[in-house]
Amino acid sequence: MSTAAAREFLRSAAKKSADLNHRQIIRRSIDHYNAAVVRGRATFADWEAARERCHEIKQEALNNLERYLLEFEQGVKERGGQVFWAENSAEASQYITNLAVSRGVRKVVKSKSMVAEEMHLSAALEKAGIEDIDTDLGEFIVQLRKEPPYHIVTPAMHLTRKDIAILFKEKLGDVDTDEPQELVAAARRALRKAFFSAEMGISGANFLVADAGMIAITTNEGNDRLGTSLPRIHVAIAGIEKIVPRLQDLALFWPVLASAGTGQTITCYNTLIGGPRGLGEVDGPEEFHVVLLDNGRSELLADREQREVLSCIRCGACLNACPVYRTVGGHTYGTTYSGPIGSVLTPHLRGLNEFQHLSYASSLCGACTDACPVKIDLHHHLLENRREAVRHADRPLSERVGFKIWSWTMESPKRFAMAGWLARAALRVVNAAHLDGSILDPARSWAKNHAPLPAPKKSFRELWGKANGTN
Amino acid sequence: MRVSLFIPCFVDQLMPEVGLDTVRVLRRAGYDVDFPRDQTCCGQPAFNTGYWDDARPVAERFVSVFAAAEVVVCPSGSCTTMVRNFYPQLLANSPMRDKAIEVGRKVYELSEFLVSVAEVTDVGASFPHRVTYHDACHALRELRLKQQPRELLRNVRGLELIEMPYSEECCGFGGTFATKFAMISRAMGETKIGNAEASGAEYVTSTDPSCLMHLDGMLRLLKSKVRAIYLGSILARTPPTTDGKGRFMAMDGAR
Amino acid sequence: MAQTDNASRQRILARIRTALRERMVQPAPVPEKLIFPRVVDALDRFQKECAINITECVVTSDLHARAAGIKGILASLPAGDIFVQDSPELRRTATEFADGREIRWSSEGPPLESSQATITECEALVAQTGSVLVSAGCGGRGASIVAPVHIVVATIDQLVPDLDAALARVQSRGTVSANSYLCLITGSSRTADIEKILVMGAHGPRRLIIFLSQS
Repeated sequence: MSTAAAREFLRSAAKKSADLNHRQIIRRSIDHYNAAVVRGRATFADWEAARERCHEIKQEALNNLERYLLEFEQGVKERGGQVFWAENSAEASQYITNLAVSRGVRKVVKSKSMVAEEMHLSAALEKAGIEDIDTDLGEFIVQLRKEPPYHIVTPAMHLTRKDIAILFKEKLGDVDTDEPQELVAAARRALRKAFFSAEMGISGANFLVADAGMIAITTNEGNDRLGTSLPRIHVAIAGIEKIVPRLQDLALFWPVLASAGTGQTITCYNTLIGGPRGLGEVDGPEEFHVVLLDNGRSELLADREQREVLSCIRCGACLNACPVYRTVGGHTYGTTYSGPIGSVLTPHLRGLNEFQHLSYASSLCGACTDACPVKIDLHHHLLENRREAVRHADRPLSERVGFKIWSWTMESPKRFAMAGWLARAALRVVNAAHLDGSILDPARSWAKNHAPLPAPKKSFRELWGKANGTN
Repeated sequence: MRVSLFIPCFVDQLMPEVGLDTVRVLRRAGYDVDFPRDQTCCGQPAFNTGYWDDARPVAERFVSVFAAAEVVVCPSGSCTTMVRNFYPQLLANSPMRDKAIEVGRKVYELSEFLVSVAEVTDVGASFPHRVTYHDACHALRELRLKQQPRELLRNVRGLELIEMPYSEECCGFGGTFATKFAMISRAMGETKIGNAEASGAEYVTSTDPSCLMHLDGMLRLLKSKVRAIYLGSILARTPPTTDGKGRFMAMDGAR
Repeated sequence: MAQTDNASRQRILARIRTALRERMVQPAPVPEKLIFPRVVDALDRFQKECAINITECVVTSDLHARAAGIKGILASLPAGDIFVQDSPELRRTATEFADGREIRWSSEGPPLESSQATITECEALVAQTGSVLVSAGCGGRGASIVAPVHIVVATIDQLVPDLDAALARVQSRGTVSANSYLCLITGSSRTADIEKILVMGAHGPRRLIIFLSQS
């Protein structure tokens, strides 16, 4: 492990793995989710058919991405909206910040957007002297704590009500209890002021609907609706892969997203926005901008094997299924996208060499693949990332040499038998001298967490040979 | 039908009793068993670590060794998975690709072979203990084995099969994952052990000796009352009677 | 305002074009399978779903009963104006349910923080999920989110069996092209961000009440 990111991952993973309290909190949250999912699944006659159809629609969207993006853009422009295509995070941040500054924006209200995190938009706005407030309750909480979101769907999953009460008492003042009802009311009061005074609302988009020329946003709280109705400018940001071809497709994706994301039948608010306030409409922003972000996605599109990774609808189901995520939590990954999807995607978006360790930090159990509602073959993509890491990135020399020796050994039964015999002999010596775990122990890293490995006198093939007279 | 044994490399060297018990069970089920001595490894360790070019010749060798076999049985879900599910991709551009797919079609994990091919669910075993079953990841998600091991266990005399919470959750072995990310692996193992203990079982068993090697190492380190035992080793245990051969029943009543 | 120079647009499109030159093999289309159970009795299903979502659904057979129902709800609210969508239907019945309350019509502007409730029509009701589909044309964007109570007046012919039908309806009727905004509303605003405990009335209305006239 040589990169800074990898070393930090190991450090944080060790700390969180040993933190039993933290593991308990995460476990409880996921148990809750699992119970809800069982209930929510009941609304589907055939969940597997839903997954297959979602996979099919997303493949169609990606296979025809140029056409659908242009159709989407056309629809937005026809309603008086504007579309800006950004090659990378810096360009996207620049556009939004310039827009805000040129329009005299002093305060921005933001609703949930992973892409805004990816772009480090908050930092850019702050640098331009613009106040930026996250309005999704979980995001609002972690923003007050000055930490990144813990989980794609439940950003404050790692905190108890007491933690939040203390935080609100300090930052908001008008809180005297840790009753969730009262805490939510306090957040609502504080955020209302922001909604009514902000000049710009920024949102993400769960889907870009090509034939309707509209973005679709899904929330339970409704913060996105206030943020996109009250301020005079609305900016929506989304990755270019968020396309679905038809409005009709949402009849499937909305329930699927809800089921996989939170175990609900359908989320409380599914909003469609295609332009600024229309002629004759009562209210709405004067300006509507959609920022389409590439930032490495068009390159992943060119990867025939892994193109389907762009099908992700950011539901968070794979995070909830992952035993590694359950153990180390979301912050340990140190990236915008955590969990299995993050481990697959980040090396593509941010560099294989620096982030290959995420693809290795998995036991390849496959629970993520089973959980994914759009049937992305997640754990197999982790394997492919590992293959690419070996071919194109830095791997420890000892490992490269080690597998060359391994391959040479395994190509001959005699060499294999000899190597096995030597290994067992060494183990027997180490175990007998109680040197297991010491610097002399070839199985040292194993011995830290296990009782000594068995070191039988005879291998199976020796015993077989003896019993069957073929020795 | 003659069964060719595919004995995982680490079982061959570190847990030979797993192989021996597999042989016992297959013989009791009425099969002739051979062991192609030319076999070494399926290539999984290199493949899983991303060293596909180093794994490929080893995989090709495996295919040649087992090309003529009638049927191949392996005491490991993960090694069976390697051959059946991953050889097609690993050997996609190899001249041995078609042969590999053919071999993949005739490789079975032990419990899979007994229940789905031999149609045997009672091998005349006796193991009067409380046992809980750990769903090894590859066996569960790649080979889709869930009921087969349990069916076999239910027919073991005196055995009380108890389900533990989160039986499908990974034990934390994951091959080199266990050493590269040892602290995460340990935490996952601790969770699995906690669940096994909570079930009240005396033994935890599975189709995969790799998981069991990991769990056994931790159970002993943590001085747990629970012990790990390979599924085939339970099935190999016969009642302490004079009839050492034991009796078994095929599903169609034959034999 | 003129579009800023967007040179990246061409570059991104070019990269996409190049990437797609080698298309994926489109999987064989999934045979038409029933993904959701068919909705047999739409009204019954709608009422059941509303109950689950804690949406109040009041079925009335005549307009007077409806007006009385609305009046009753308004009477229970604290002092403050009621925001009402300025439609011919609601103009006609306002005198019956207003009962001395100050009415702020949508033609005067959006609802204020002080509005105690909003009353709007809708584009459709969806039996499958117990949802209401509104557009900007139903009193504006703020009408269904700003006030703590949202009352919807709908008629039985607006009730469709499922999401598929609801979305088809708003497309075929031109509602999608004629509006900048639509929203599918299912139940009251809620959050489970604190210890996964469900709390109602996060940012949006705490109460959603649907008056469904059978005539």
